[in-house]
Amino acid sequence: MTGWWNDDDELQELLREALAEQRDTPARFVEAGKASFAWRSIDAELAALSYDSVGDASALAGVRQTDHAAIRELTFAFRDATVHVQIARGGLHGQVVPPRRGEAELHVEGRPVRTTEVDDQGWFSFAPLPATAFRLLWRIPGGGTAMTDRLTL
Amino acid sequence: MRDDPVIVDLVRRARAGDQAAWDEIVERFAPLVWAICMRHRLSPADADDVGQSLWMGLLEHLGSLREPAALPGWIATTTRRECLKVHDDARRRQVPVDPAAAEEEVLGADPTAAPVDEGLLAEERRAAVRAAFAGLAPQCRRLLALLVSDPPLPYVRIAEILGVPVGGLGPTRARCLEKLRRSQTLAAFLELDGAERGVR
Repeated sequence: MTGWWNDDDELQELLREALAEQRDTPARFVEAGKASFAWRSIDAELAALSYDSVGDASALAGVRQTDHAAIRELTFAFRDATVHVQIARGGLHGQVVPPRRGEAELHVEGRPVRTTEVDDQGWFSFAPLPATAFRLLWRIPGGGTAMTDRLTL
Repeated sequence: MRDDPVIVDLVRRARAGDQAAWDEIVERFAPLVWAICMRHRLSPADADDVGQSLWMGLLEHLGSLREPAALPGWIATTTRRECLKVHDDARRRQVPVDPAAAEEEVLGADPTAAPVDEGLLAEERRAAVRAAFAGLAPQCRRLLALLVSDPPLPYVRIAEILGVPVGGLGPTRARCLEKLRRSQTLAAFLELDGAERGVR
């Protein structure tokens, strides 16, 4: 019987492949994995994506691309609220329905968390747009905490 | 399967909130996750997404992981499932296709390509080898790394770098490879690998 478990040349070849695989793994991929540990302490419900204008051919067709025109619309649902998010070139605007005061957070990998107020109409906004993948998180007093999956524009 | 004490300890510490332990878990297994994504021909952006859901899932799973030694297997199968999900989602956005062609489309139609399970086993085996390598003494790690460097180095050059006689390299290599083979990490994997071979 031969194989890597009793043949030195085969074991060395296996080691060569194993270390090459490690070299080929991008550093940013490893760093993003480490950064995800910050989410461990956040006890948040995952807000389910219930609508995304990407993949909806009828959505936003013919909309003139200005700074205020939405380039993407998303809807998230969690326990007792819905959040509509409009993404425009100038920034991200959203509304919590039914309207409730609270806080919204924008989490971008490797960047400090941006926090903004959700007003009594349920509105909030972030500008400028995040350049890389992000998550949104809402803290609604008495309504718990919910966060989205990782989103890319 | 025997418990790898290093992994058991890392999981225990990460569970208790130790970022350094989590970093090490990620360092150890990120190449496994990345390699599986690449075998499934994911774009770098899709691989990043798979990585994120994998780590988030692992964070949730960490507290309930009964056998930390099962971690590599859990990571490998979960990553594979996420990769197939990416392809499913992409397909759903296009015209419906024959589901039988799905796996072939994902992994390519190369008839010599290893079946999926074998590919996964090979990736887990390489992850076990990396873990065993990380546990070796610095002298062994240095020698073995030089022996597998790309492009390959002649023995004479390696002996020069290490400042040892060329004649000693052969025996030292044999001794270091034996240590690698006998490491608990690889022994634990070998038992699993042997069991898999047994059922074929």
